[in-house]
Amino acid sequence: MEIISFLNLVFVNPLVEIFSYPIFFAEVVISGLLTGVMYSLVALGFVLIFKASGVFNFAQGAMVLFAALNLVGFIEQGFPIWLALLLTIIVMIILAFLIERFMLRHLINQDDIILFMATIGLTFLLQGFGETLWGSNVKPLDLGIPNQSFEVAGLLLNEFDLFAAGSGAILVGVLAVFFHYTRIGRALRAVADDHQAAMAVGIPLKTIWIIVWSVAGFVGLVAGIMWGAKSGVQFSLSLIALKALPVLILGGFTSVPGAIVGGLIIGVGEKIAEIYWGPLVGGAIENWFAYVLALAFLLFRPQGLFGERIIERV
Amino acid sequence: MLYRETGQFKISYAADQSVFPIAQDRWFVSLIIVVAIFVIPVLASEYLLQAVMIPLLIFSLAAIGLNLLVGYAGQLSLGTGGFMAVGAYMTYKLTTAFPDINIIIVFLLAGLIAAFVGLIFGIPSLRIKGFYLAVATLASQFFLLWMFNKVAWFYNYNSSGTITAPPREMFGVVITGPMASAETRYLVTLFIVIIFAFIAKNLVRGRLGRSWMAVRDMDIAAEIIGIRPFQTKLIAFAVSSFYCGLAGAMMVFLWLGSAETEAFSINESFNVLFMIIIGGLGSILGSFLGATFIVGLPIFLTNAPQLVGLSMPIDMQKHIEIMMFGSLIIFFLIVEPHGLARLWQILKEKLRLWPFPY
Amino acid sequence: MIEAESAPIQGEHKEVLLDIAEVSLAFGGVQALSDVSFDIYKGEIRAIIGPNGAGKSSMLNVINGFYHPQKGTIKYKEEVRKKMSPHKAASQGISRTFQNIALFKGMTTLDNIMTGRILKMRRGLLWQALYWGPARNEEIINREIAEQVIDFLEIEAIRKTPVGKLPYGLQKRVELGRALAAKPDLLLLDEPMAGMNVEEKEDMCRFIIDVNEEFGTTIALIEHDMGVVMDLSDRVVVLNYGRKIADGTPDQVRANQGVIDAYLGVSHSN
Repeated sequence: MEIISFLNLVFVNPLVEIFSYPIFFAEVVISGLLTGVMYSLVALGFVLIFKASGVFNFAQGAMVLFAALNLVGFIEQGFPIWLALLLTIIVMIILAFLIERFMLRHLINQDDIILFMATIGLTFLLQGFGETLWGSNVKPLDLGIPNQSFEVAGLLLNEFDLFAAGSGAILVGVLAVFFHYTRIGRALRAVADDHQAAMAVGIPLKTIWIIVWSVAGFVGLVAGIMWGAKSGVQFSLSLIALKALPVLILGGFTSVPGAIVGGLIIGVGEKIAEIYWGPLVGGAIENWFAYVLALAFLLFRPQGLFGERIIERV
Repeated sequence: MLYRETGQFKISYAADQSVFPIAQDRWFVSLIIVVAIFVIPVLASEYLLQAVMIPLLIFSLAAIGLNLLVGYAGQLSLGTGGFMAVGAYMTYKLTTAFPDINIIIVFLLAGLIAAFVGLIFGIPSLRIKGFYLAVATLASQFFLLWMFNKVAWFYNYNSSGTITAPPREMFGVVITGPMASAETRYLVTLFIVIIFAFIAKNLVRGRLGRSWMAVRDMDIAAEIIGIRPFQTKLIAFAVSSFYCGLAGAMMVFLWLGSAETEAFSINESFNVLFMIIIGGLGSILGSFLGATFIVGLPIFLTNAPQLVGLSMPIDMQKHIEIMMFGSLIIFFLIVEPHGLARLWQILKEKLRLWPFPY
Repeated sequence: MIEAESAPIQGEHKEVLLDIAEVSLAFGGVQALSDVSFDIYKGEIRAIIGPNGAGKSSMLNVINGFYHPQKGTIKYKEEVRKKMSPHKAASQGISRTFQNIALFKGMTTLDNIMTGRILKMRRGLLWQALYWGPARNEEIINREIAEQVIDFLEIEAIRKTPVGKLPYGLQKRVELGRALAAKPDLLLLDEPMAGMNVEEKEDMCRFIIDVNEEFGTTIALIEHDMGVVMDLSDRVVVLNYGRKIADGTPDQVRANQGVIDAYLGVSHSN
């Protein structure tokens, strides 16, 4: 009897709830999608850097935080928003330059794990530096984007979330065009495929890396703005980097569409799990659900949804 | 000149395969152990023992555990904190349920439970490798911590969610709990760590160690010569989790006195990973060196400004500490990616020739 | 398909160690092997040759269980085997070396060769943790065997060197040592002379012949250097595009028109 009521609780009840309140379910899904977009933005930064330099940049989350901190800091100093944005972008470009000069150049022949650890070190460095400069209080970020909720066809939607989703979509679109139709984009793809060959045709590796890390920094800035405006700019922003990992697992480490699809799946999956299963176990499923979901995926497709199959030859 | 090995010939394989084949090494390590057992408890202040020596030893043990998995067997894991938590919480449950069992035995039992949990979470390693495996281990980290938070049974339904080490005795001396002196706790920790470091060294110089390294270096070739990669990886997870669980139990019972899940968070996992990277992957000595570095650095950074005469607001100090920590890690990785253990080897090479330059 | 008769060595009745019958192997759209049949006598040196891409390495991989053929049977030591895993092949006395060296780069020469003994070492976890006693004795016994191999291959000087630091020729020798340490019944060598200079090749030839004569090990060998093949092997199988096109003694194969055509453009000296 206990087993049946347990199964009932876990599988049947949620389904019943979903079908009884479809509008609520739709709202949960949409909310999940919107969170997912934010995850995708962070994952996108990862993918860019990994594609072009083979580095798994754990510091992406810290870059989100760092960008946001600088932006808010500049605004607090009294600069108008457009100037603050410009200054922050410049800061991120300088950061990319410094990372290439002092870190990447020296480590590029090492094992992947060494590079990975170095980016973890970078995470601490950026966090500490940002907080030293600007302090560690939670900072509100007011961009003048309205945060009202409104109804569409019976669904409760939030203006801000839509704005974030829209911006994310535009960003991805711009990046896609950039990669496929511009000369620099082509060079980036060449470097991603084969460093040596790219150098052989005269593509300057160092410049490419600076560009890629700058673009990732910019993506981080956008992500930072979205997250920061929603919940304030604070240290926990860098923890989002961890959440982006399951996204990358699902979507593959080298795929831009993968990062998006992965982010959406994780966002929706998490939300549904939290709303419908959370109450059964005391809540906070969001802490681990994404990882378990990614793990389950990996067991069936070790290379993720969109990743390249690793074929080992003897 | 001091460190010359010439004249030291091994006439049996047993002698060649011993842990410290070079006589000078044997003397040096024996000296360290003698100092550790007899000199330090007498001379060191309570602060030094509590803030430096005990955590250093405990984290060395955790670092050894993680090094076996990552450095020797090549399975990247970010779940160290979770397995340490298993050791700690299971010790708590067992000793509160069976207060008469010797606490060391309880530690070992908790370690075995942690080994079992590690085994389960190691199953994905059959199909998943590298960074993907690391992310999979994050699942274990977050899930285990969530479980120890939510399921009140683990902390005996107390209202704060903290587990506290009850007083326990051995040979008539109180070794855990608020009445246990720092010297006692230090000595118990020291003995446990010495024994288990020795065991780890034995494992890695024998068949198991070679199987691990073979799977790490090229698991396809390993399979072809007859090693079973999956079994080998699972054993690595189990043994590693045992060590981490033991370290976690010691952390609560012999060092902190009490803890919440925060003590075993993802930050701890990264800390231990740093220890083995900086100390040297695939090296037992490296685990000790790395733990010394990571445990010692924050203490150094906290006290250094005073020594130099600077004073800073506490939170500013904290941020600068974090910054320096990150920079030192990057610096270290650039300068010697194989860690302190490699630097030590290079030092020994130079010592062989000293005072000649080459 | 032009085929020479499989001529047994004059006057001696030879026991068949490995019998490959109509084995076909395909990956996706690529047919690596088609209906290949040949046998290997116990104690002989059998060369498998053919132009690049003929399926030679695939054949070795099938023999040691790494690939599973879609069609055909393999009879090893009188026993027909269905699906064999590499692990099982190793435990039944099949060892091999690889075209691209598959040594454990992080370990020393000695450790690499000791891994060849892994299947013979039985002591469990608890004994190993203690080390003194049974585990240590086992280590010492197997160390002696490894040292015999090291002695045989004349690599004493590099026994403690991490193999990643060794030059290519020595790495290949260490890999041979690892395969020999298991005291195999059937030794599969995948291009053991590749990338070596004349002296190294002569050394390697000497070792291969010694292994065959002193230990009686049966050897199947893929090799491109025709001079080596003619000198070393008792019999030769020639593959081309996954099919067998000749099978016989080196002289028979050398005179075979089909083989000459397959190798057209490749001149082989002596």
